[in-house]
Amino acid sequence: MWVFGSNELIEDVLKKDLCIGCGACVNLCPYFKNYKGKTAMLFPCTLARGRCFAYCPKAEVDLDALATFFWNSPYEGTPLGKHTRVLMARAGEKMRKAPYQAGGTVSALITLALKEGFIDAAALTDQKDMLAVPRLVTNAEEVADCAGSKFMAAPTLAALHQGARQGYERLGVVGTPCQLTAVAQMRTNPLELQEFKDPVALTVGLFCTWAIDTRKLIPLLTECIGDACVHAMDLPPPPSETMIIDTDRDRVQIPLERVRPLIPKGCTLCVDMTSEWSDISVGVLEGRPGWNTMIVRSRVGEQLLHNACRNGYLETRPLPAQNLEHLCSAAAGKKKRALIHALKEGFLNPAGKDRRAGLRLRPEIVEKIIASDLEEPCQSS
Amino acid sequence: MSILIEAGSGDSRLLMGNEAIARGALEAGISVATGYPGTPSSDIIERLAKVAKQRHLYVEWSVNEKVALEVAAAASFAGLRSLCVMKQNGVNVASDFLLHLAASGTRGGMVLVPCDDPGALSSANEGESRHFARLVEIPLLEPGDFQEAKDMITWAFELSEKIHNLVMVRSVTRLSHASGNVIFGSLPQAYRSAFFKCDGALLDPMEGPVFSFPVALKHSRQQEKLRQAVAEFEQCPFNSYSGPRGPELLIITSSVCNLYCREAIHILGIEDRVGLLELGTTWPLPPGLMQKYLSRAARILVVEEVIPFLEENVKILAAELAPQIGNKKFFGKKDGSIPSVGEINPDLVIGALCNILDIAKETRPEIYTRRADELAASGAPVREMTFCAGCPHRASFWSVHQVLQMDGRNGFVCGDIGCYSLAMLPTGFSTLKTLHAMGSGSGIASGFGKLGEFGFDQPVLAVCGDSTFFHAVLPALVNAVHHRSDITLVVLDNSGTAMTGFQPHPGLPVDAAGNEVPAIDIASVCQAMGAVVRVCDPFDLEDTRRTLFELLEQRGLKVLVLKQICALSPQKKAHKKFEMSVDAQLCIGENCGCNQLCTRIFKCPGLTWNPENNVSRIDEVICSGCGVCASICPGGAIRKEEIA
Repeated sequence: MWVFGSNELIEDVLKKDLCIGCGACVNLCPYFKNYKGKTAMLFPCTLARGRCFAYCPKAEVDLDALATFFWNSPYEGTPLGKHTRVLMARAGEKMRKAPYQAGGTVSALITLALKEGFIDAAALTDQKDMLAVPRLVTNAEEVADCAGSKFMAAPTLAALHQGARQGYERLGVVGTPCQLTAVAQMRTNPLELQEFKDPVALTVGLFCTWAIDTRKLIPLLTECIGDACVHAMDLPPPPSETMIIDTDRDRVQIPLERVRPLIPKGCTLCVDMTSEWSDISVGVLEGRPGWNTMIVRSRVGEQLLHNACRNGYLETRPLPAQNLEHLCSAAAGKKKRALIHALKEGFLNPAGKDRRAGLRLRPEIVEKIIASDLEEPCQSS
Repeated sequence: MSILIEAGSGDSRLLMGNEAIARGALEAGISVATGYPGTPSSDIIERLAKVAKQRHLYVEWSVNEKVALEVAAAASFAGLRSLCVMKQNGVNVASDFLLHLAASGTRGGMVLVPCDDPGALSSANEGESRHFARLVEIPLLEPGDFQEAKDMITWAFELSEKIHNLVMVRSVTRLSHASGNVIFGSLPQAYRSAFFKCDGALLDPMEGPVFSFPVALKHSRQQEKLRQAVAEFEQCPFNSYSGPRGPELLIITSSVCNLYCREAIHILGIEDRVGLLELGTTWPLPPGLMQKYLSRAARILVVEEVIPFLEENVKILAAELAPQIGNKKFFGKKDGSIPSVGEINPDLVIGALCNILDIAKETRPEIYTRRADELAASGAPVREMTFCAGCPHRASFWSVHQVLQMDGRNGFVCGDIGCYSLAMLPTGFSTLKTLHAMGSGSGIASGFGKLGEFGFDQPVLAVCGDSTFFHAVLPALVNAVHHRSDITLVVLDNSGTAMTGFQPHPGLPVDAAGNEVPAIDIASVCQAMGAVVRVCDPFDLEDTRRTLFELLEQRGLKVLVLKQICALSPQKKAHKKFEMSVDAQLCIGENCGCNQLCTRIFKCPGLTWNPENNVSRIDEVICSGCGVCASICPGGAIRKEEIA
């Protein structure tokens, strides 16, 4: 992996408007801060190599290097990434019936992980006024506060770094694909620091097609709901063409044509829909309200799932084949669109050995993904 | 006791130029002295304030230069002698009243002393006050040494009372702030009493109402006064000539350039070739005297600083006198012999003389130049201008800069005049993006804040100091409130006019002479105008940032008063609040995670960097114990312990 410093990060990511405000560079040092969803550099730093660049999911992400590190095999570009099982899941009888986005699977997993000592603390995303904000929780009772999709880029990883600084050695994190890509890079110790100890014990990924720029969403929300208080947001799957906002007063529908222009440029370059760099990843199960789709990817994920089911925190069922097919198709579609865009933007595998990339991936895999027919049924491994 | 009043007539004392001016005013028997602080002028009022009680003076630091001139004028109208002091650009501030005062005339002797700053050693400009004398048609005197600085003031008061008008005596930094021997004259024993006679005839200069009407008639009388002054100048003891009867080159000079010319002539040993006409009365030039000396040489060199004021006036006179004196060849600024920016020094005069007189003489010995170049290359480290250790402005701009960066809407700060002007440099994180005159930051901000209808959406901040707030920010604020301009003013209130030496201002409960006076509260004034006002301690970085964010979200005029006394103020100096230390184990140093934030960015002089063991250290001698660096250290390595 190529590692540069903050100057290159500014050049390659912030100035190109590719920053999605994931928080990977926040709270590592005094220079990067996130305010209202936007990450800014406060003062210049002169270091040639820094964690800010190394962790950033939009700067020199080498998918093969990550796959080799975590999976011990090269990156194949399959729609859902490396995994062991895909299931449908929802919170079990031990969980209270919170108003979850779908099945409450994420809340159930984190609650269990905290209760059973898988982790000491978890970096989650809370909502404050209209903002999605990072929150480090240390006991299971706090988890429910953070339930519900935010649809906004949030600097969640700032809370992860905060936890590490506070000395937590077994941290959990719930994040979007970009955030978990950053976490994956962080866990490889890219700066080869002697004192490095991986503080992450559990990664729970969220499915994500795109997020909405916080700074742009707030004025739109204000315009559409006035001073009402947002209770929940939803983006129902196609053919729905609206974003639904439930407030303390009523339900407001915003046409997607007004929302799409607010998608950060960085999202259009993202090849990951299902948070491939996680132990378990979770999304909404289409057509089955109250249920999630869950992809189990690692031994840690399997262990957590096992305990969750055994102890009544989670309930699972096999995923219907049609849903799996649909999921694969959507994930492959995102990959293909992102790679075509990334090639055009010079973001992927740029020519010339001194040119920095946003993303690196073997050319044959790029070709394979771009040539793939999305209608082709995909296999769950 | 002050040196100004301890010595008697005939005694000689080493005086700074400004002290000589103050002594001159005392010998002239002034009753009132006013001014606004500004380097290099401030010492004059300060010295007079110290002897105010003994010499029965009223001395005030006025709110600004215009008011200072008005207050001094009132004393003159009441028959007293008054002195008004300011730096060069202060005359710009006072100029509107100055124009009208020159037209209405004065009664008791009144002298305006502007101290110019060629080379802008302590200014944001090297503006000229001399032009104002010509512009408003009043006599101008320029002392050429320290004795003259004193004597000319006394003479100027006499002249003022002869012509019933204001007289300008202009100093410059190298006269005001350098020192020389001055032989004292005597101090008057009697004091004048004040009464404003105003029921006389309309045109009675001593008993009628004081104004410029009827304008044309009063104007013609004013010009008559100027002719009277010229007649006095013809005989004036402050114009002198030295050199041969028929020199190859006549140097005409004034002010401190007198000294540079004398030195240059001496070094070159050309006393027998060059004549030196030192002029103390530089506007209007006395034609008789000028004719006498211009006749003596075919070539003329005019030596003065900055703009060719004297040079142009001499040329105009030479054109008028051409039938009597013949054609002359002029050297000066127009032909490039003398630079028209920055200070003059003997080397520059030597260079000009060598060129004109074809003298092949090195300004410096070659060996000296070579050694100097060698040493300069390897020599002293570059030292940036910086805020002092523990300066509240460093903390204030730390927060302002961070908030604007985090806010991310391309907000910027309009700067103003004070120590905090340094925030245009890295010591203030290069936060200031405009910098002009006193109060201009707020005025410019008021304008930016009205550009919304043209697509402008950047947050606009202005900063000003507490003294500047009263001096010239108030009208700009009224403008901003009245026109609903969306701006945030940050008042950097360090409880004094710190840059010029802690002179009091209307926000403080004490006046120039140490008397108790009512203080005007900045926050209350802003509140009364309808601004949203917050007051924070800039050393509390978190609270300051939070408050700034809150204010940036609001529309209209917002004012944040950051109140923390200057680290060098007499009350605070040498009283450390915290004992600071660095835990070397926790110091992240230049590693990722810090990269020397405290010594590379925050850069308080109280912190030093040890590259050998990669840690920061507190320099206990310089550290003022403000404790702010403990709040910025990302490793928690900088510790503060409250001193009981």
